[in-house]
Amino acid sequence: MRLYSASSEETLRARKLLTDWVGEGFLTKAQYQLLEKETVSELRTTNIFLRLVLFLFTLISVGAAAGLFFVVFLSGPSQQTVGVFLLIFTAVCYVAAEAAASQARLYRYGIEEALAVCSVVFLCVGLQFALFSNSPYSPKEFVVPAAGAVFSLWMWRRFGFSYAFLAAMIFVIFLPGYWTSSREAQRLIIAVFYAIGLAGAATVRSRHRFDYLEEAYSLVEAFLWLGIYLTINLQLSSLNLSARWWDGTRAASEFARPFYWGTWVLIWCLPPIVLARGVRLKDRFVIAVGAIVAGLTLVSNKPYLGWPRHTWDPMLLGILLTGVAIFLRRWIARGPGGIRHGFTAARLTGKDKQWMDVGSTVAGLLSPQTPSPQTSSQDFRFGGGHP
Amino acid sequence: MSKSWAEPVAPGSNAELWTWCPRSGERRLHDHPRAIRAMEGAGQNIAGAARPFGGPLSWRTPLPFLELNVLLYAGVLAFVGGLGWTVSTWSQQLGDVLVLTVLSTMLAACSWYCFSRAPVWSSAETPAPSPIFDYVLYLGSLVWSIELAYVENRFHVLSGKLDLYLLATAALFFFLAYRFDNRFVLSLALSSLAGWFGLTISHWSAHQDATYCQYALLYCLLVGVSGAVLQRRSLKPHFFGTYLNIVANVLFWALLSGVFLPQGYGLWFLVLLIACGASLAWGLTRRQFAFVAYAAVYGYVGVSSLFLRGVTDKSAVLSYFVVSGVAMLVVLVQIGRRFGRSA
Repeated sequence: MRLYSASSEETLRARKLLTDWVGEGFLTKAQYQLLEKETVSELRTTNIFLRLVLFLFTLISVGAAAGLFFVVFLSGPSQQTVGVFLLIFTAVCYVAAEAAASQARLYRYGIEEALAVCSVVFLCVGLQFALFSNSPYSPKEFVVPAAGAVFSLWMWRRFGFSYAFLAAMIFVIFLPGYWTSSREAQRLIIAVFYAIGLAGAATVRSRHRFDYLEEAYSLVEAFLWLGIYLTINLQLSSLNLSARWWDGTRAASEFARPFYWGTWVLIWCLPPIVLARGVRLKDRFVIAVGAIVAGLTLVSNKPYLGWPRHTWDPMLLGILLTGVAIFLRRWIARGPGGIRHGFTAARLTGKDKQWMDVGSTVAGLLSPQTPSPQTSSQDFRFGGGHP
Repeated sequence: MSKSWAEPVAPGSNAELWTWCPRSGERRLHDHPRAIRAMEGAGQNIAGAARPFGGPLSWRTPLPFLELNVLLYAGVLAFVGGLGWTVSTWSQQLGDVLVLTVLSTMLAACSWYCFSRAPVWSSAETPAPSPIFDYVLYLGSLVWSIELAYVENRFHVLSGKLDLYLLATAALFFFLAYRFDNRFVLSLALSSLAGWFGLTISHWSAHQDATYCQYALLYCLLVGVSGAVLQRRSLKPHFFGTYLNIVANVLFWALLSGVFLPQGYGLWFLVLLIACGASLAWGLTRRQFAFVAYAAVYGYVGVSSLFLRGVTDKSAVLSYFVVSGVAMLVVLVQIGRRFGRSA
């Protein structure tokens, strides 16, 4: 089912590791050159910047080509006609993506990725226009997001694009709206879909603990945990979120009370479960999601309970986050050899440093460090105690 | 970022060399990628490990440095956000004395921590003396900004001359960045300086007149030349990348806003082409592909705006995008083949 052979992907992974190691000084130049000869892959890769730019220009070319086709060859076409042609474009884009990957051996090159993305978009829009353009609303329209989800999953399996899995999860969100009007049931259905996916991913990934698929399954599991959490946290996924958070009113009236309070219990239960699983598997992505959902639970607890927010709440959260980070670092560092239960807080990869350098530059630029001249305007005043 | 948290590291050796033995909780050097088998076959010890290959090695997993730093950064940012919000909301109830005392105490504590723990200054890259050092400095810088904003808004010390305030803040942040070798604060300094030049981001969308473009060019010139001179003098040369990336982006935005002017855009366009050429050459020679991407994207936007100026025919516009998009793809693929294989 997978487009690339396991040996090709394993070789690429080994090559990537070699590059990391030589950057770290673990390998000498001579050792690296020796190993490099052993990890020659027939797949064509590129760096992240060229990949992004190639993705962008492929999107521009394909989108413009489709638009040009309709402008030049069809004058005032019906929506069904547009839909049918879009479905043809779906096939064309998909075949092109397959050819780019299998014939030109492109691997995460941007071009085949953009073609695959275009094929999913064309499929959904094409189905909508071809099948449902005349009826204002039909319960059968669930076919559109369902097709999008299935096709995205196929892209994930076939090409290994992690974001295709995320796209499938997003398509799933639209499905239950066609089946039931109950908001509780809609959320339950989404959560059940994600939970089934999670069970499947957890089962499969144990077979790939140390091969090239480990990263893919780790990411998928992290996405699914996050999806489940966001589905059950009624405060985060409500539409009038900001208004409710400010005035402290609860979303309880929109949902049945047992369901509402059940989700409140779950948002407290889920973070420790995710964190525990991540720690047990030593899975970086899952632990990151565990930390994120723990933070979100703290942030959304007050709105859940209908308690008013205070201006100093972010300060308390900041103190907590900083305290946890310092405690963890010190606790691990005090272990024998700076290791506890297989964890160490020492910086071990040069990539971490690179990310830190880039991140600190961007974070510094985006920080609210200085009031811009607008702060002297009449609208901005220090004062009166009205948050 | 490396692939997952299961990044095994044996003491004195290296990562990803072993398979995991579930019963003993150890990893063994057997079933590993081809490259490692080749090394093993060649009898070479990849990382100069103390143990011979094949022996059981206890494994550990890095709790990445990166995640803990993100947590610290989020904590500092949340704290400062809440502090600013509280001060701006409750200042009348709390009173100026209390607010200024609290802010000054925090500022003094941060300054004391940084100056008392900082290693002797060196012009080379210096590691932070403690894991939280950078964040204490960052917190101090942000608290300074809040306090200064409070003083100015309450007492109008500078009587509205915010440009002086921004310039002084930028100077202070530059000093701190170079004293403590901190990129966070260097970025704060560069954006404060940009603010002094009238370059706050909010201006970009609202104004596109030539004045802002000229100010932006002046900013780029000043920052770029300063960065280059400091690098040549080996004064924290690792900061040069930060200077260059900021200058490149501001420069391209300024040139593009000049190209989008209704009149007198020819010179701006010419300079844009020169800048794109320079960015491309720099990116390819130094293998810094972000600059190749800047040249491609900013250059494409500029050239497209010129070609499509006044064109209203849909098919002409779409044809342009098809042809130019494919042309860009061909050029970029060629560049990728020759230069950009490193994943």
